[in-house]
Amino acid sequence: MLLKSVRKRWQGWVNRRIPRSDTQQFVQNNIFILPTGVGVVFGLLLVVMLLTGINYQNSLIYLMTFILGVVFVAAMHQTHRNLSGLQLTLVQTGEGYAGDKIPFVFRGTRSKEATLALELRYHDQVLAQQHIQPGESQDMTLLARSSLRGYLVMDRVRVETRFPFGLLKAWSWIRPATAAVVYPRPLLPPESPIAEGDDGEADARTTSDGQDHVDIRPWRQGDLSQRVLWKRYARTGDMVIAEWSGQQGSPDWLDYDAFPGVEQELRLSYLTALVQQKLGADEAFGLKLPGEFIAPDTGPAHGARCLRALAVFGQHDPADQGAGHRGAMS
Amino acid sequence: MKLAQRSNPVSSSGTPIPASALLWLIAAFFILLLPQWDRLPPWLLGACGLLAGWRWLVQSGRVGLPGRWLRLTVMALLIATYIVTVEGRFTVDTAASFFVIAVGLKWLETRTSRDFYVLFFILVYLATVNFLFEQGIFWTLLNLVGVALLLLGIQVLNAPGAPHVLAAGWRRLGGMFLKSLPIVLLLFLFFPRLEPLWSVPLVSDRGQTGISDTMSPGDISNLAQSSERAFRVTFADGLPPNRELYWRGLILDRFDGTTWRQWDTERPTRPGRVSVDSGLEELQDNEYDVLMDPSGQRWAFALADSRAVSENLEEERWGLFRFKRPADTPVRYRLSRDTATLLNAGLSPAFRRRFLQLPAQGNPRARALASELRATSSSDRELVARLLTRFREQPYFYTLRPPLMPDDGIDTLLFDERRGFCEHYAGATTFVLRSAGIPARVVAGYQGGDPGANNEYLIVRQYDAHAWVEAWLPGSGWTRVDPTAAIAPDRIESGLREAVADEGSFLEEDWTSPQRYGDQALIRWASLQVDRLNYQWQRWVVGYQGQSQLDLMSRLPGNIGMKELGYFSAGLVAFGLLVAGLVSAWKQRGILTRDPYLRVVAQWRQLLERSGLEAPTTATPSQLADSAEARWPALRGTARAFARMVNSHYYGASAGSVEPAQRKADLARLKRILGVNRRILRKAR
Repeated sequence: MLLKSVRKRWQGWVNRRIPRSDTQQFVQNNIFILPTGVGVVFGLLLVVMLLTGINYQNSLIYLMTFILGVVFVAAMHQTHRNLSGLQLTLVQTGEGYAGDKIPFVFRGTRSKEATLALELRYHDQVLAQQHIQPGESQDMTLLARSSLRGYLVMDRVRVETRFPFGLLKAWSWIRPATAAVVYPRPLLPPESPIAEGDDGEADARTTSDGQDHVDIRPWRQGDLSQRVLWKRYARTGDMVIAEWSGQQGSPDWLDYDAFPGVEQELRLSYLTALVQQKLGADEAFGLKLPGEFIAPDTGPAHGARCLRALAVFGQHDPADQGAGHRGAMS
Repeated sequence: MKLAQRSNPVSSSGTPIPASALLWLIAAFFILLLPQWDRLPPWLLGACGLLAGWRWLVQSGRVGLPGRWLRLTVMALLIATYIVTVEGRFTVDTAASFFVIAVGLKWLETRTSRDFYVLFFILVYLATVNFLFEQGIFWTLLNLVGVALLLLGIQVLNAPGAPHVLAAGWRRLGGMFLKSLPIVLLLFLFFPRLEPLWSVPLVSDRGQTGISDTMSPGDISNLAQSSERAFRVTFADGLPPNRELYWRGLILDRFDGTTWRQWDTERPTRPGRVSVDSGLEELQDNEYDVLMDPSGQRWAFALADSRAVSENLEEERWGLFRFKRPADTPVRYRLSRDTATLLNAGLSPAFRRRFLQLPAQGNPRARALASELRATSSSDRELVARLLTRFREQPYFYTLRPPLMPDDGIDTLLFDERRGFCEHYAGATTFVLRSAGIPARVVAGYQGGDPGANNEYLIVRQYDAHAWVEAWLPGSGWTRVDPTAAIAPDRIESGLREAVADEGSFLEEDWTSPQRYGDQALIRWASLQVDRLNYQWQRWVVGYQGQSQLDLMSRLPGNIGMKELGYFSAGLVAFGLLVAGLVSAWKQRGILTRDPYLRVVAQWRQLLERSGLEAPTTATPSQLADSAEARWPALRGTARAFARMVNSHYYGASAGSVEPAQRKADLARLKRILGVNRRILRKAR
């Protein structure tokens, strides 16, 4: 009980010391250093050596004890310096489905001295023996296990080194602010509305007779080239875009409301599975969520956009929230 | 919580050992075994080689580590051999052997880095144990090299894949050593040298060569085959001539017909340490400082008419000196030569009886010689002179190859063979004097010595061992009578080498001794230089103990005692830590400001803060740009451009691999944008 509260206080203190940021420069006031178990045994060995020196009145044993004692102190500085001056930045967050391991790419940079044998640890994920040479940078990918869809923020990544002698460990944390996006776990709906549509059955929402409902508008920068009506361009010289205006677009619309009575997360899982299916078949599709429409299209970028929309549906990016709130998150 | 999360599948304790780290560990092991080579039984050295070699083969994948039963068998085999060879003796040597067996066996179960560390600790302690036996400067360096290899191996273990791990490791060790040297030296000087906390005799069963407390014919001539060093002496006022250098060790005054012994048997001593330090004070005019190699005995060698100066000596009757404990390590002591002769207080009847003691039977011709001398001499002094004249004028020979004289040895020597070494003549002379009614005794010790490099000091070796006679003469008390000086004056004037030069028997069995080749200038020079180096090392470093420390401190201002030394050492450590901390803080500052981009970003942040915008260090460049643009619309564009440049420098796809020239140009542009922003803000205010 007491231990728990002490731990909580300690954690709060550490979190205040290490604010959420994608970039962390490790310096004196955020590096912690303690002897390892090996270091403690080494200290005991020094005591035994000193006793031997005293009892046998042996100057050379005194000398060696002092040398090794000073090595220990020097190792403290070495270990500290190995970490201090390192800049670690979260440069890329990966994406994946709930339950997957989501990659987070960190870039370590050093200007003058090297950082050797660095270890990044996030829960049970360990990335050991990372060496960063002076003036160079090194990308390191940590995987974070995800369980729910939505934004995934790493709470604390432990950054540790025991170099050079393993007698001491210097460690700190980076608490990245940027979240990865975790797509809902795909789950095929029991009766796929797409399957019905493919059968040509008259479903009000998924009629394939879509050409009549196309809105034509002039080309704007950013429009995808495959949506340009090239035939018309060839005929008239006008670059126009076909915009599928409504629910009865010719490509399938994947609709949040197509699963009445189904719980929200399940719906999102269904939709995710359907998006996957569409992507696999390379068919054009659009996504309709309450408050969000994504126009029909094909291709991986479109797919990612849809998946992302499904992932963060109803959630706020934690990076947009205030610092105080963030501090409480982990 | 992560703090509690200790167990880890890939934690450092479970990782396999990289081959190169193991190689350095094995190398260190063999180096650290070297100082023990003459102490450890050969089978043990062989076994250690095999075990370490086995482990190395395992590393290269050719064989596997032994299973539990094989390991137990090997262990049982080694320990059985150990028990058989040790035969129940418990000495430091056997303890050291056992320690080495333990190290050797550990090789067979070195699987993970945890085992590696266990070996590291054991080997560091092996280096410590080595210092108990060998303290010469070269052995010390060898030990330090061994420890350095261990530290190197540990670095390799901790970063096996790092580029140039070896070169960097050496460089790191060297840098560490150089930077920490001042602190090590200061600690060495000032750390209080405490008295031993408990008694730990250093019992060694290695036969130590040296004078023993009995003298039979042949003992000293055997000793004369050894060129091992006995002690070294520095005189305050230059080396005295050789003939004055009679180093008295002990008096042998009881004769049983063949062997001379001490009348008073040595008192047993309680276990404990001999005090090895005679202090650092400058030698007074007639003082001399002796550094004795371990003899395992309590007696100290001193010139006649000496007085003890250092406190580790006890003065005994008849100008002899003893340590409080046997000298199992090198001991330094200090004496002064007194010009005043001994007080002639007379000899008590009990002592007179003791010094006239002879066996009832034996050597009739020698007894007859004594009566004849007595009859023809008017005084004791004349009798002694006549005996010496006999030795000088008749054909007596001084030889390292005396014949065996089993029955009535003194008669055989004096009248038949006439060939002997100093102990033969000293024994015979004492016998004759005693039977003539003159109290006499045999003195055992050393005579002479070789000058060290530049004649700075004197080296006395085992072949300088000598025995001579002291006779009680009325009016002058105990007087030295050396028959050897009468028979072979060369021995006294210039040493054994000259005395037996014709015979060619000098160190004839000691092929490796540099002294054997002392007539070759280069070898002689080299061995003297090495000896000088070791002598200074032994005197100033190895011998730096409590008394020296107190002497040194008494020269410093203030009244420095043990307590002050303790405070001082603690302060020293704290000071060292502080300096190191400050240096690293200063370097840290360097790291932060050395990055010109960060400096520009910091300036930007400062600019915004001065203008009244909160710009926390946690805010990203984009966030800063957002809030700045919201506050001062005039900044629109330039603030964003600044953020974009910073971001692309740090997080862009090509970050870190930009050409230096390009980087410089980028930086200049960034500074320009900052300047523009500054001007805009100035206008806006």
